[in-house]
Amino acid sequence: MPNDNGVSRRSFLKATSAGAATAAVAGCFGGDEGNGDGNGDGNGNESGNGNGNGDGDLSNVEKAQQAWERAQDNPAPEDEETRMEAYLEMEEAVRDDMVLLPLYHGLTERMWYDHVDVEPTGSLGGHRQQHNETSTEDGELNLINSTVTSLDPIQSTDTASAVIINQVYENLVHYPNGVPEVENQLAEEVNVSDDLLTYTFTIKEAQYHDGSELTASDFVYAWRRLAESAASERANFLLEPGFLAVEHETEGEGEDATTVPDSLGVEAVDDRTLEVTLTEPQPSALDILTYDSFAAMPEGLVGDIEGYDGQYTQEEISQEVMVGCGPFQFETWEPGTEQILTAFGDYHDGAPNLDRIHWQVIEDDETIWTYVNEGNADIFGIPTAYYDQENIDAEEDDMGRDVGTYGPLEDGETVVNYLGVSEMSTFYFAFNAAKVPKPVRQAMAYVTDHEELINQVFEGRGVEAFSFTPPGIFPGGNEAYQTFVDEWQYSPNDTDRESAQQVLEEGGHTADDPFALTLTTYESETFSEAAGITRDKVSDLGIELDTEEAEFSTLISRGQDGDLEMYSLGWIWSYPSVAYGLFGFEPANTNTDLISQGEADGYYLNWEAELENEE
Amino acid sequence: MSRWRYFFQRVLLSIPVLFLVMTMLFVILRMGPLDPVAAMLGPEASGAAAAQIRENMGLNEPLWQQYIDFMVGLITFDLGQSWVIQRGRSVTSMIRIYAPRTIWLGFWAILLPLFIGIPLGFYAGLNSNSWGDYIASFSGIVWLAMPNFWLAIMFLAVLRRTQGGGFLGFDWYTLGPDIRSIIGTPPLDFIGFEQLLPVPSGFFFDGGTLAVAIKVILPAALVLGSASMATELRIGRTAMLETINSNYVETAKAKGLSNRVIIWKHVFRNALIPLVPIITNEAFLLLGGSVIVEVLFGINGLGRLYFISLTQGDLPLAGALVYIFTIITISMNIIQDLLYTILDPRVGYDQ
Repeated sequence: MPNDNGVSRRSFLKATSAGAATAAVAGCFGGDEGNGDGNGDGNGNESGNGNGNGDGDLSNVEKAQQAWERAQDNPAPEDEETRMEAYLEMEEAVRDDMVLLPLYHGLTERMWYDHVDVEPTGSLGGHRQQHNETSTEDGELNLINSTVTSLDPIQSTDTASAVIINQVYENLVHYPNGVPEVENQLAEEVNVSDDLLTYTFTIKEAQYHDGSELTASDFVYAWRRLAESAASERANFLLEPGFLAVEHETEGEGEDATTVPDSLGVEAVDDRTLEVTLTEPQPSALDILTYDSFAAMPEGLVGDIEGYDGQYTQEEISQEVMVGCGPFQFETWEPGTEQILTAFGDYHDGAPNLDRIHWQVIEDDETIWTYVNEGNADIFGIPTAYYDQENIDAEEDDMGRDVGTYGPLEDGETVVNYLGVSEMSTFYFAFNAAKVPKPVRQAMAYVTDHEELINQVFEGRGVEAFSFTPPGIFPGGNEAYQTFVDEWQYSPNDTDRESAQQVLEEGGHTADDPFALTLTTYESETFSEAAGITRDKVSDLGIELDTEEAEFSTLISRGQDGDLEMYSLGWIWSYPSVAYGLFGFEPANTNTDLISQGEADGYYLNWEAELENEE
Repeated sequence: MSRWRYFFQRVLLSIPVLFLVMTMLFVILRMGPLDPVAAMLGPEASGAAAAQIRENMGLNEPLWQQYIDFMVGLITFDLGQSWVIQRGRSVTSMIRIYAPRTIWLGFWAILLPLFIGIPLGFYAGLNSNSWGDYIASFSGIVWLAMPNFWLAIMFLAVLRRTQGGGFLGFDWYTLGPDIRSIIGTPPLDFIGFEQLLPVPSGFFFDGGTLAVAIKVILPAALVLGSASMATELRIGRTAMLETINSNYVETAKAKGLSNRVIIWKHVFRNALIPLVPIITNEAFLLLGGSVIVEVLFGINGLGRLYFISLTQGDLPLAGALVYIFTIITISMNIIQDLLYTILDPRVGYDQ
């Protein structure tokens, strides 16, 4: 099973079992104020649901659609406020229509022994941390990793691979230590044209592990691979609107559409200058460029695109060879067992402090716990079964992170360093709006007690979530977030069976004539336990809830086919952008008929169907 | 019917069985609910990338063509590629990496119980109804009752606490060859070819590495072999009891043979016969049992590979492993039949 490292980015989260997670934050009160009278009284399916927000008689789904379009129509930096207002409206629409019930934001916890000197990581996660600053007494850093799938930056989609790739390959820009502030990595200077469509990068002098020099044309080559190689998994990051949307030509139509070789709007002006042309302004352009797949690679290294014979095959570059210009170079990868990297003396930012990094692949909790107690892992997470909140002694630092100590470990003596960071992820129960009527969805929200759920089921390893967007990047900032939470109308941190019953009765669902639906969760003990608790809470209220577990990929493909009624999933932000999470709520984008054909990529909500209900 | 004819019939019969398994695999892989492209790409599965993968995997071919390709692939041991766990790596190369570890574990998991279970059983049989017998039999039953996963967790919990000299009075980490961790993959490079020149230039053997490899595998092998150890003990005891009470032993005693000669030359060999199928059958148990033991001890063998391929939806890999396991099981059956055919002239279909 995936542990804290096993989640994938820019994709739905699998449930975490091992060392991820904590912190319960206190709550939020307030009922229906701000939403007029309509809501408290159940608001049936009549349009408008009494929203006192001044949108006249717009339904929530219309409100969300219009807000999304407004945000898209105002991409310039000075329109920031307009966009944020629109995003806030989307969050409100999601909340008021209750198409998705956020449960908790993940909490990354990291422990390390005293003999290790390592920087605390930020909310974008430890896999963003390059270890050139880290040092240990014996010059070797021992870590735990999950199963690595591929060493090719354009092919990697999982965190376990990203951890390795991030030490070896480098991008133009990055988030040092996972703190959500973009800084230059291989870029020396960035210039943006007035129309926001042309980015000009001046590139640092750096050397690859094979001794060759970094040039601008290497980026052209590497990004062409990202766009054109059959192995590329993240071409959409480079090409599609909503992401970077770099200029390019396509040939063929629909599913057969491919990028025309060498048509990409990326140009090496000279050895040190790279020019990138976008088709539409993208406020998060630099954030997107921090993604591993945009890494530099010596021109012609792999022959999987037109015009290059390649020194290595794609298979070799994904399994046996890595040539980047990062602080560490590839030594060995024994699949499923271990990976070893060694320091690169000619690193452009000075040789790293460590001599080598060794990752042992361990995925079972019991085995991780053994390895940790043996002192074999220098930095680690603690499996939930052995985790005790009481052992934490930490204080909040100026970045909102908990820093302190954890202990003792199993031997009753050893106390280790502790870091707890609220990460940019959200786990949730979502509904297929076409199949589950609004009163049922709202009743589910009424009976959900976030605080209890996190403490009982997730051992306190999470932060209560009332919005989809994590508080750290909430549109309008912390104040807007507080207001939003205060207006959360579904009895926060309380099991409000009365209100649930009321809203159900108004919807025509009673204990004698209940609405039957199925809640499908991950194959995860914690999530099925959470599902069980919800099932018990709605029993006799007018909802007959069945629970089932589905394997992750089954869950995804059933969701795409519109074959789920209520389901658990998670979302993790690859870069701190509100739009990056909210795009999945654009009602037109949630249509599973389109999603199953690959023409939409929203969450599996069928929210658009609500429009027809309202009419 | 001659016994050799019987044997060849058994061999022929295994062909349709294998064929059936292969067909079932095809139905599950290609016609089941899981979309291979969705499994590979996750929620991003769309557009050109998905179409490309579909084309590469031959998913656009007519179903009968896919079926024939699939069957030919399996028969020629072209087992395809992993989808999820190591995208693009061929299944045969993964099996080459993972299988030796499972074989090493299986070898010790069969050997250890043999040298503990059978002697204990024979001892109990020879000294029936003594205190020694009671203790051996009782602990055998208790041992059998302890599930593998629980035993494994206990082993880990106890052994890791001996670090730096614990309550047991010994430090497992420094006892014998030093090890860093009680979990992990045993180093199997203690024997091999010298690779100084481009061509193999000779054998090498490293006793130190062998000792480490054995020490690392011991706890896992003990856990994996625990069930068969107990079974061997109990069957060995019964077999011994039956044999020493049989008529020919009485005759031998009457002839004045010494106890030592009777037991070592006659009783021992005859008592072993009922144990032979028990030991061959262990191979099947080990295939299934190795999954949980490998996961808990962090040994990256076939069992753990099978487990993660199932949990991560890597169907071609899981399917190929099932195919391999099926072939092993069928060959074990054939070997067993061969042994029976050779040992026992009474074997045949008609009786």
